[in-house]
Amino acid sequence: MSTERARFGRVRDRVMESDLVRLLLAPGLGIGWVLLFLFLPMTVIVVISFSVPGDFGNVIYEFTLANYERFWEADVYKNIIFESLVYGVVVTLLALPLGYTVGYFLGRSKTDWKWVLLGLVVLQYWVPFIIRTYAWIIVLSNNGVLNQLLLDIGVIGSPLDIMYTDYSMILGLTVSLLPFMILPVYVSVSTIEEDQIHAAKTLGATDFRAFREITLPQSLPGIVSGILFVFIISAGAFLAPTLLGGPSTRMIAPVIETVFILDFNWPFAAALSLIYFGIIGVLLYLFTRRVDLEEALETGVA
Amino acid sequence: MATDTEAVTQGETDVDAERGYFGITVSTRTKWNLIRAVTVFVYVLMLLPLAVIVINSFNPSRLGNFPPSSLSLKWYEALLADTRMLRALWNSFQVGVAAALGAGLVGTLTAMGFVRNDFPAQDALVIVMLSPLLIPPIIVGVASTIFFGQIGLERSIAWLIVMHTLLGLPYAFLIIRSQLYLFDETLEEAAKTLGANPVTTFREVTFPLISPSILTAMVIVFVISFGEFTATQFWVKRTTTTVPVVIFSMLRTSISPQIDALATVMLVITIAIPLVVLGIRRYLLQN
Repeated sequence: MSTERARFGRVRDRVMESDLVRLLLAPGLGIGWVLLFLFLPMTVIVVISFSVPGDFGNVIYEFTLANYERFWEADVYKNIIFESLVYGVVVTLLALPLGYTVGYFLGRSKTDWKWVLLGLVVLQYWVPFIIRTYAWIIVLSNNGVLNQLLLDIGVIGSPLDIMYTDYSMILGLTVSLLPFMILPVYVSVSTIEEDQIHAAKTLGATDFRAFREITLPQSLPGIVSGILFVFIISAGAFLAPTLLGGPSTRMIAPVIETVFILDFNWPFAAALSLIYFGIIGVLLYLFTRRVDLEEALETGVA
Repeated sequence: MATDTEAVTQGETDVDAERGYFGITVSTRTKWNLIRAVTVFVYVLMLLPLAVIVINSFNPSRLGNFPPSSLSLKWYEALLADTRMLRALWNSFQVGVAAALGAGLVGTLTAMGFVRNDFPAQDALVIVMLSPLLIPPIIVGVASTIFFGQIGLERSIAWLIVMHTLLGLPYAFLIIRSQLYLFDETLEEAAKTLGANPVTTFREVTFPLISPSILTAMVIVFVISFGEFTATQFWVKRTTTTVPVVIFSMLRTSISPQIDALATVMLVITIAIPLVVLGIRRYLLQN
């Protein structure tokens, strides 16, 4: 009886310690999850993107280049992707100085309120995009809070038309994404030893020079992480362009959704998704040649 | 207020104030005040719109004059009577908890596997693990919906749980992995030398040490799942719909303070649950 159990124990240990089981059980589970539910679908839509659209989301498996030709021949889709990237750059360029300033303040300040202020940034992270986006509708629309207050005070005679323009969309997107810039910058700034800055200044460096040569290089991981998150999320944004943008605001995510849901053209939606994914992939590749992608993501998340 | 200004100016010579930029002389104190002003401005931008939603949800008037002249709970009462919304809240909650458990479990095992083993192409496989974070959600949504559609899989809560686990996995993986890097591997070695098998070692040594980060990861996955819209809109049907999808469809039809009430409830859940869980974690760690 006891030898039986001992043998079972030995076998169990050997099974648990065998490399194959350890690899399958541990990293294999996560990698398998991503391969099965993300990479396999991505591979399938490569095939679909070369197929003919049928009725109501059906796909006729006949090889065709028509979806890619449609993209290539009409300027409209090329322009939409280009404009999405431009909006992404604009939002990133706005979020960087604002987010950096706040991150720098939180990293260097000795105020008693620091932990409250930090907590408020973390809470911002948790607020769903749909709520942040909706909030700007109530604030900015013609009978919204801002216009009501300005009318009541008498600063303006008639409501300002800010809502449903590029400006309202960029504002909403930038403010929603600021936490992604603030927190990583704060983390890197707060690890800088203050003595280094003091030393530089004692040696005659100006504030600006001390900042440029000590603070800025050491806060680079935070900046890189912030730029990565803000750019990827804003260029691919769906809610802000749909709910806050104007008739002339065109971004790729709502267009893919329209092709998918309203036109029911799955092959063309697949082709657009893959083209956009290819462009983001190339940008990420260029980015990883200069910085460590993994480190940048880890700075932003953990 | 005086304390942080002192932190910056204390012991500094203010040399640059004499040289100035472009001939304009700005003291260290003025620069710090400028930084502080920008910080205040950013906080106002981040917090005020959310405060407006919460206040407006108590506004009895449909046309929402602001600030409200009186307060009422009528939009919350409407919410309680609306089975579609209650169902969406319940769906969101279920999916969030299940995805947090799923990503917590899979993320822990995967992170363990990456940190404690050497296997080929490890760097490339890390990028595979992080890819749900890098591929825009619209693409994740469209690709998976086409794929599941082609294999004839019916939309269900299980579908949402599987996909939200996928979206949360990179966060869980990164957070738990960085904790594993931090702690002393010799503790595991010691347990093994004392005769513990891998399972016992994990249960008695590794798990207690990394459990705080597993909990943090699960909280973050819950929050992500609870608020996700862009990919989720493709994954739901009428009976499995989630709160963000309901809010979006309400916005398409008409704007009423009932949306503010629902958004406020969502805001409370998304902030209170993590705070409570992390508070319990802190309490347990202290004892």
